Amino acid sequence: MARGVNKAIIVGTLGQDPEIRYTANGGAVANISVATNESWRDKATGEAQERTEWHRIVMFGKLAEIAQQYLKKGSQAYFEGRIQTRKWQDQQGNDKYSTEIVANEMQMLGGRAGGGGGAPMDSGGPSQGQSKPAPKDTAPMDDGFDDIPF
Amino acid sequence: MGRGINKAVIVGTLGNDPEIKYAANGNAVVNVSVATNESWKDRDTGQAQERTEWHRIVMFGKLGEIAQQYLKKGSQAYFEGRIRTNKWQDADGNDRYSTQIVANEMQMLGRKADNERAG
Repeated sequence: MARGVNKAIIVGTLGQDPEIRYTANGGAVANISVATNESWRDKATGEAQERTEWHRIVMFGKLAEIAQQYLKKGSQAYFEGRIQTRKWQDQQGNDKYSTEIVANEMQMLGGRAGGGGGAPMDSGGPSQGQSKPAPKDTAPMDDGFDDIPF
Repeated sequence: MGRGINKAVIVGTLGNDPEIKYAANGNAVVNVSVATNESWKDRDTGQAQERTEWHRIVMFGKLGEIAQQYLKKGSQAYFEGRIRTNKWQDADGNDRYSTQIVANEMQMLGRKADNERAG
């Protein structure tokens, strides 16, 4: 049987600076929270309504490093990836589930104000050839999911 | 600033028959659980690995009724919608969050035999 399709596309605004961590093998893991808004008119009252949806997005490896380097709180960006729900246990041993988007594509959007440190940004995104020393002295961690706010 | 884009596309297999409920105003609310699989080769061992992802999908109104009528456990279908996380409290009063996809488009896929024809 076919494997199916599991795809999410988010264009939104970062609620905080990216948090980057490194796994024991040196791989980067970046977590961000991205807001999208939906608005509608209440059928009964005619009043404008708005709801903000927060998406947890995780990126790995080179993409995580690029995100950490170029995105910050308030940045607008496009993300594409798959939806993943993980089961974990809280301190009392209760099963909990948290859903996030594992992005495999990211593009920066919007004003330069969203970019970090005055680095020039071309619309095509940062070049993949850029290299940045990968810190190896960070404390090892299992998978970067130890403090889920959800 | 733009409102942004919040879109999910799922093509998968139903794990259960659709469950239909009706809101106080008579609108249908239908929940389905849909599986997608991803597979990869373990880098160290070379062994094939597989993981099933379950997606909670909800449909409202006419679309919900169509889903309930034509889809059943094992059906393959395409869903398109937005991701939504709801906050709720468990019996101990702790905050819990659950994420689902609110579909606004659905298409049945696969062989005719997979989808029960009503009439």
